[in-house]
Formats: sequence, structure tokens, C-alpha cells
Amino acid sequence: MRRCKSQKIFPVLASLALLSACGQNTETDTDSQLANVELPSGMTVKEQIEARQDHLKQIGKAFKTISDQLKTDRPDLAQIQAAAALVPKEAQGMADWFPEGTGPESGVETEALPVIWENKSDFNDKVGAMQDAAAQLNTAAQGGDVAAIASAFQTTGGKCKDCHDKYREDD
Amino acid sequence: MANEPARILVWDGAVRLVHWLMAILVPLLWWTAEEGHMDWHKSFGLTMFGLVLFRLLWGFLGTWTARFGPMIGRIWSLNSYIGKLRRRESASTFGHSPMAVLSVFAMLLTLLTQVTTGLFSVDVDGLDSGPLALMISFETGRQFAEIHEFNFNLLAALIGLHLAAIAIYQFVLKEKLVGAMVTGRRSRADFPVAPETENRPSVCAMIAAALLSLACVFAISDFG
Repeated sequence: MRRCKSQKIFPVLASLALLSACGQNTETDTDSQLANVELPSGMTVKEQIEARQDHLKQIGKAFKTISDQLKTDRPDLAQIQAAAALVPKEAQGMADWFPEGTGPESGVETEALPVIWENKSDFNDKVGAMQDAAAQLNTAAQGGDVAAIASAFQTTGGKCKDCHDKYREDD
Repeated sequence: MANEPARILVWDGAVRLVHWLMAILVPLLWWTAEEGHMDWHKSFGLTMFGLVLFRLLWGFLGTWTARFGPMIGRIWSLNSYIGKLRRRESASTFGHSPMAVLSVFAMLLTLLTQVTTGLFSVDVDGLDSGPLALMISFETGRQFAEIHEFNFNLLAALIGLHLAAIAIYQFVLKEKLVGAMVTGRRSRADFPVAPETENRPSVCAMIAAALLSLACVFAISDFG
């Protein structure tokens, strides 16, 4: 048992030090009034950012389901179909999720880069390409051919990455 | 008995091979992750998993300088070792010094954390995931990925310390440690106390540890 102690003490101490450093710069909501500005959609900036993050997270979850199933020897088509149907639904209206003022300047935590609003038409094109790919993925999934689903899934993933590479902060 | 050889085996071949493969793989793993080459990242990561596993087994089956038991025994002389260093007395130890033991344990534990969390990690888009992420939810996989990312910083810090220590030994204490990790050997005259062991690896143990690690790697890569 002595060994465990000495093995762990370094990472534990180091992580404590790093964690306490992290805690020091948590932003409070009050230093950004921009977060509470109401947008034409009726949502505040903060609500808009959180709503789009939630949609994107649902898409990520659906993608994991599809990716997991495609990795198995016998993919569960019902699971793939449910997940693939969800993607176009969750991605609906995506171009409208990014009104002016919902970038990092709002003070709300977001990985959306300001460059989105400098290239809005390119951004919207890429969003559209992703939505088209997602619709095709859904069609392929409902068709039930695993090879076609795998190929459509790859295409859709590529369209996500096209946008993320350019318009999302690297973490 | 013939004359005692002037150079003796400090690090067996398995220790050296694992060490240098890890030294090559860590930068490659970092780079493939940064650049998003996730297929390569997964292959290298599984290789690293196998190496860590082998090294842990070798800590029980390997040569005297590779085994964890004798290494732990060294920790208790940490204070006197540091005292010797400060007085610049010759303090060459056969195998890991008490400080090196702590460093190795910290690095191995961090590496083990890194490869294990990697197996369960899911990327933010749900497109790439470790082979064992099938068993867990998107959210849990994301938490593993967060630990994976955070823990890499710990690993990088420990590697930085490791390199700094080697430089200090090389240039301040005039102990050339790198050469011994390449050839495995040092001059017998380097050690104030003669080592009690031949430090010869057992080929059977080496094959057993290698096969067991390989089997684990294949089982996991087959999983997903």
C-alpha cells in the first residue's frame, strides 16, 4: 500500500495546484451585460448560445450512437435509424443560431469564433452542406444498407468538420 | 571465473526498447491529436497502451533494476541521496536513484491514466471515439476526454522535469545517463558499491509479458 501512496502523490499534488489555478478566473455573469441583450428571436444572447450548444450536443450524441453501431459486427439498424432521423431535426435552422452578438464578445462561454461573422455567407453555405448531408444520411439509414449508411455518415462527419476547423475554437 | 567485465548491464533490452518507443510515441500522439489524425492517434495510442502494460508486467517479471519491489526499497533513502547530491558526492546508483523511482512511478501512473482514459474518450462531435467508448454514454465519454486532455498536461510537465533532471546530471553532476539508456551499460567503476546482481533478463518472462500485453491490445482493438 505504501507504493500506491508514493505513486499517486505527484499527480495528485500537481492536479490540486492546477485545479486551484483554474478556479481563480471563473467569470461571473454580471461582468457581461451583453449576455442578456434580447435578440430579434426573442431569446437573450445567453439563451441563444446555450440553445445552439444543446442542439449541437444532441447531434454529437446521435453521431456517437451511429458510430458505435457501425463499429460493431452487427449494427442495430433501429438505433441507427432513430439517431439519423434526429440529426436533420436537431440541425434545422442552424444558420439562424448565430445572430450578430452571439460570439465570444458576449462574455458567454462559446467556442464560436468571431471569424463566423466576417464570412457569414461561407459559414451559411457550410451549414447548408451539412444539413444536406444529414438529410442524405437519414435517407440512407431508413434504407437500411449498412455500407451506404457508413459512407453517408463519413460524408456528414466531414461536413461538420469543414465548419468546425474554420469557425470553432480549437480546444 | 574470468576477469570481471569493465562494463555492466544496468538497463535490460526490454526497458530500453520500451523507453525509447515511448519517447517516440508521446510526441507522435500529441501531434496526431493536435492535427486531428485520429486514426493514427488510435493506432499509436493502442501501441502505447501495450507498452505501458508490458512495462507494468516487467516491473514484476523483469530484471532487478526494472522491478518495482527493489525500486520502492530505494525511496526510503531519498533524504540521504539528496544530501549526497548537494555535497556533490559521487552518488551513482545501480538502477534508479531514489528520486528517479518517484519520477518513474509518477510517469507510469500518468501514462496509465492517459491510455486508459483514451480508450473511453469521445470527441466533442461524437465522430471519433476510443475502442471502449461503446460501453459508455456520450457525456461520460466526454468526461473521459476532458481527463485525457488535462492529464496530458501533467504528463508533459513530468517529461519536462525528466529532461531537466537528465540535463542537470549531465552538465552539473557530470553523470552521463543518456548513454546508459542507449547501450544499457555503464562502467563498473562508476558505482561506489558493487551491484549484487547480474541483472540478466529472463527470456521466458519477456515473452510471457510481451504476449500478455499483445493479447490485451488485440482484445481491446477488436472490441470497437
